[in-house]
Amino acid sequence: MTDQERPITDDDLHAFVDGVLDAGRRPLVDHHLAAHPEAAARVAAWQAVGASLREATAWKAREPVPARLDITRLLEARRARRWQPARIAAGILVALAVGAGSGWMARGPSMPTGVASVAMEAAAVHRMFAAGGEFAAPYDAAARAELTAWLSRKLGRPATPPDLSGSGFHLVSGQLVATDQGPAGMYVYDGPRGVRITLFMRPMKKRDMNAPMRPMHGADMAGYVWAQNGLGFSLVATEPMQMLHGLANHIRSDMGARI
Amino acid sequence: MSVLATLEENIPSLRRYAWSLLRNAGDADDLVQDCLVRALEKLGSLRSEGQLRPWLFAIMHNLYVNRWRRTKVRAEDATESPEADVPVLPSQQASSEMRDIMRGLDTLPPEHRQVILLVAVEGFEYAEVAAMLGVPIGTVMSRLSRARDRLRDFVEGRPQPVLRRVK
Repeated sequence: MTDQERPITDDDLHAFVDGVLDAGRRPLVDHHLAAHPEAAARVAAWQAVGASLREATAWKAREPVPARLDITRLLEARRARRWQPARIAAGILVALAVGAGSGWMARGPSMPTGVASVAMEAAAVHRMFAAGGEFAAPYDAAARAELTAWLSRKLGRPATPPDLSGSGFHLVSGQLVATDQGPAGMYVYDGPRGVRITLFMRPMKKRDMNAPMRPMHGADMAGYVWAQNGLGFSLVATEPMQMLHGLANHIRSDMGARI
Repeated sequence: MSVLATLEENIPSLRRYAWSLLRNAGDADDLVQDCLVRALEKLGSLRSEGQLRPWLFAIMHNLYVNRWRRTKVRAEDATESPEADVPVLPSQQASSEMRDIMRGLDTLPPEHRQVILLVAVEGFEYAEVAAMLGVPIGTVMSRLSRARDRLRDFVEGRPQPVLRRVK
C-alpha cells in the first residue's frame, strides 16, 4: 500500500497536531479534515487542549529553581556522600565515654572538661587508631584534599594539616572523629625510626577557648594539649619523645597563624 | 562542564513535568531532586549529550514508577486542599480555563497523563516517549488518543466516564 492509499488514522491526526506529519501525507490529511468536519473539530480540540496545557504549566518552568536543586550544591553533597561509605564511614571513630577509665589525666583540672577532655579523646583515638598501624582507608592526594575540606567545614575553619617535614614527619592519614563534644579531626604522621604521632583537634565548648600548652602523661603515651581561638589541640605519641614539645610548639604557631 | 550546563537548562522543564504529574510542589521537587542526584551518579553512562533530555526524563519516569506512585493518593488529596498549588495568573478568565484543563488532567490515569504531557508540553517525539516509558510506540499512540479525547470531553463539558470528586 502506498502513502496515497493508506487510510487516515489517529496516528496521522496526532502527527498533524504535533507537527511531525510526513510531507507526503500532509495533502491527504488536509483533504480528510476538509471532508470530515467532526475530524477537523477533534483535531482543533486536541490543538486547543495542548495549548491550554502548555499555558497552564508554563509558570512552573518559569519559577526560580529552588536552591536544593542547584547542580553545584548537589555535586558537593554527592562528593560528601561518596566519601562517607568509602572512606569517612569506615574511618569514623566514636570517642564516646572517654573518661576516668582511660587512665589519662592532663595536668590541671581533674574533671574531663575543657582541654582535659581533648587530651582524653586524643589519647583514645591515638590508641585505637594510629598506634594500631593499619588504616581503614587509603590516604592519597585526593583523599587528603577531600578530608581537609570536610574537616575545615566541620570545624568551621581551615584545618589543613601542618607541615612537619622539617622535623622528619610526614602525613600518613587523616580521619574525622565523632566525639560526644562534636566533630573532631585527627592527622597521623610517621617520623624517624617508625615513630607515629597523632594530632587531634576539635572545637571547644565554652571552657578553655584558649589554654596554654600543658604536657600530658600516661602509662603508654605522652603528649601535649592546648587550645587557641576556640579550637583544642592535642599532639600524642606512643612513647615519650624529646622532640614532641618542639613539634607541638611548631604546630601551635603554624595553626595559630591560620585559625 | 557543558553537560552540566545542559543538565541545568533542563531543570525548569523537569520541575514542570514533575509538578504536572504529581500536582504537589514539594513532592514534585523531591522527585526532581532524586532525578538529578541519580543523573549525576549515572552521567558516565550517557551516550551523547544530545540524548540528555530524554535520558533525564526516563530517569525521572523510573523513579516515579518505583517510588512516587505510592504518594499519588496523597498528592491528589493535596490538589483538593486549600494549600494546593494555584498558579498566579494574569487574569481571572485565564485562571479558570487553566484550572479546568489541570482538573481534567487530574482525571486521567497516570499513564495517559504522562504521555500527553511528554508529547504536548515537553515536545518529545513518539519514539522517545515509547523508549522513556518502556512501552511499544502503538501503546503511546493509543494512550495519546484517549488522553486527548478525554481532555477534549472535559473541556467541552461532556460527561466523564469516571469523574473524580470536585469540590
